[in-house]
Amino acid sequence: MSVNKYQPHVFVLPEDDANRQLANGFLLDLAISIRKIQVLRPAGGWAKVLDCFISDHLVEMDRYPDRFMVLLIDFDRDEERSTKAKAQIPPGLADRVFILGTLGEPEDLRQANLGSFEQIGLAMAKDCR
Amino acid sequence: MRFEIVVELEGETYAYDITFDLPERFKELRVLEEKLTVNGKPVYTREVEQVHLTQADQDESAKFLIDSGVVALPKIQDLGTSNPLFGFKQWLARTLILRPIPSWIQGTSDNETLEPDTRGINFGNWFSGLLAYAPSAYSKIDDYLKQVMPDLKDIKNPVVGRRFRRLFVEFSNDQVSLNLPFEDLSDGEKCFMICALVLAANDAYGPLFCFWDEPDNYLAPSEVGHFVLALRKAFQTGGQFIATSHNPEAIRGFYDENTLLLYRKSHLEPTIVRRLDGLHVSGDLVDALIRGDVEP
Repeated sequence: MSVNKYQPHVFVLPEDDANRQLANGFLLDLAISIRKIQVLRPAGGWAKVLDCFISDHLVEMDRYPDRFMVLLIDFDRDEERSTKAKAQIPPGLADRVFILGTLGEPEDLRQANLGSFEQIGLAMAKDCR
Repeated sequence: MRFEIVVELEGETYAYDITFDLPERFKELRVLEEKLTVNGKPVYTREVEQVHLTQADQDESAKFLIDSGVVALPKIQDLGTSNPLFGFKQWLARTLILRPIPSWIQGTSDNETLEPDTRGINFGNWFSGLLAYAPSAYSKIDDYLKQVMPDLKDIKNPVVGRRFRRLFVEFSNDQVSLNLPFEDLSDGEKCFMICALVLAANDAYGPLFCFWDEPDNYLAPSEVGHFVLALRKAFQTGGQFIATSHNPEAIRGFYDENTLLLYRKSHLEPTIVRRLDGLHVSGDLVDALIRGDVEP
């Protein structure tokens, strides 16, 4: 079976392929149960992440109260983006939907010689412990 | 044709090269060159029929002839488990090359082995061999299978004849239980079983090299990502896992630096292999693959 929808679980909705690889790297940490987290298909842009969340996931979030979502977007150094994105999340879901992402773009991290996206994701998972 | 394997085992770097050619009037390939080195020092070298065997504790090498149609590696005797040749040959023998055909996999066994058949046909023998070699491997198998099939209760492998065992899988909930012969599992469930044994084998007698041709075959779409990630995670701490796939979910389980694109323009041209991070991909990788826009 896939993730158990009746137990706490997380869906990660990445903006693009780079964010998808960051999320995969996070899941490679041995302490993380991969059957409670699933990385979804990249949406193709930060605005499409929000569109996809509203069109595909909003109803399911109501149906499955143990579902959490991480919307993984790039902030592109746009100070307004966080506010704009949060405004799309219904207040009742504020404690179950999280918007995370790089301040600029994931490529900035790779160019800072931090390794591949996946290695950066794995390092972030280790930092959480 | 030239094949090269470089592998690091317990801190030693083994490099094995073999080259075949097809001279005129020959009906079969012959071995042109063959060489095994450990940390750059030759264990043996070979040119066509002439083999030079280097003794570990002597400067001089022994020479002998071998048929040019025969590979020398399996013919050279290793002297005890501490001999470098023994470690490499054992690792090579235990390499997992998997392309399972679940409908052919029965749960019976008439022997024990640590070397499963490519198609998984001797799964029962592998199960018996693994648990005979390392009984604690059962807990690893059980852990994985209970994640993917939470109603799994037990796997039994009773003797059913003079020389045979047969696998049964029991599922249960609070009220009832169901005991199924292994062969009655679905194709996908059999793949979960194989995956469980791969994970347990890498723990028990690894580090292993595992090549799985299209591991996503026979699996539900919601399972593919978890399946690939479980294998990748298990091989992070030792061994190596390589998969081929056309499945979007399986492809998304890897990253650009460890994904190779294999591309062939026609049957008459060689396959080109390129790392994905060296290619220009516009937008989503899987969408680009579907459009056929990813070319070396």
